[in-house]
Amino acid sequence: MPLFEKVLYSTDFSPLAEVALDYVRKLKEAGEKEVVVVHVVDDLSVELPEGAELLKERELYRVLPEADQKYLTSLLERLEAVKSRLEADGLSVKLYLRYGNIPKQIVDVAEKEGVKLIVMGAHGKGLLTEILLGSVSTDVIRSASCPVLIVKRREE
Amino acid sequence: MLFQKILYPVDFKPASLNVKPYILKLKEAGCQEVHLLYVLVPSEWGLLQKEEYDTEEKINALRGAMNEGYVEGLKKTFRKMQELAREFEESGIKTRVLMIPGELDEVIAEYAEKNDIKLVALGVTAESLSFFRVGKVLDVIKAVDKPILIVKSAES
Repeated sequence: MPLFEKVLYSTDFSPLAEVALDYVRKLKEAGEKEVVVVHVVDDLSVELPEGAELLKERELYRVLPEADQKYLTSLLERLEAVKSRLEADGLSVKLYLRYGNIPKQIVDVAEKEGVKLIVMGAHGKGLLTEILLGSVSTDVIRSASCPVLIVKRREE
Repeated sequence: MLFQKILYPVDFKPASLNVKPYILKLKEAGCQEVHLLYVLVPSEWGLLQKEEYDTEEKINALRGAMNEGYVEGLKKTFRKMQELAREFEESGIKTRVLMIPGELDEVIAEYAEKNDIKLVALGVTAESLSFFRVGKVLDVIKAVDKPILIVKSAES
């Protein structure tokens, strides 16, 4: 059964997201073939349209201050680095860099790509939500129609 | 050993049973052991002494302290769990079957911590995640510190 064939890996490039990546890589043994890597940006100094595809719509960069452009370039490099690692494992990889509401965009990409599973670290914004679970994770669990694997800390 | 030992809380509703194929599939990614846990919530079973009921003898020992019908009900549930466990055993996955009285979130989180569980595989319904429902499911997801796989079903 192709239960884990296509997986969405949501990363905020935090140490916990790095741990979640170990799970994504391990799932190859259970039939995973393709990984959709998603990073959502919501902290630019200029408001962009919700859901803007920052990998494709490069003209959007022109409206941004130089610092934001540099920031986006660094994110692209980090996404490419994740891609290389997964491809080295023999997985096919698709990248998304989107602007907007983080859980909304993660779920939107999941629906669009028809993934079988979402893997993510339990990240949230703000200390209180971080302690509880992570508002991002909670919203993804609520809105996603596919299973979600949440990683909370590194396993010894 | 990311998926080596999985805790599978079951209540025999479709949402919890829908998790089974995912666990079976995770055998390919290293799952060797599944602990099937039925939480005896106080509203259903009254006040039971908090211990791990993992044999029929232990359940039989409740006779006298508990209504005969309750004891028979517990035994019936335990046998259903053993039946479910057999499917894992037949696939070469070791199992442990047990029932623990208490609150859902506390029992699951505590058991996972004490028994070096690597992943909690939880079946939930869309309804149980609603903002307006004072359900226990989000509490479980929050309380568990281990990686957690959430499989959502439309029906309860």
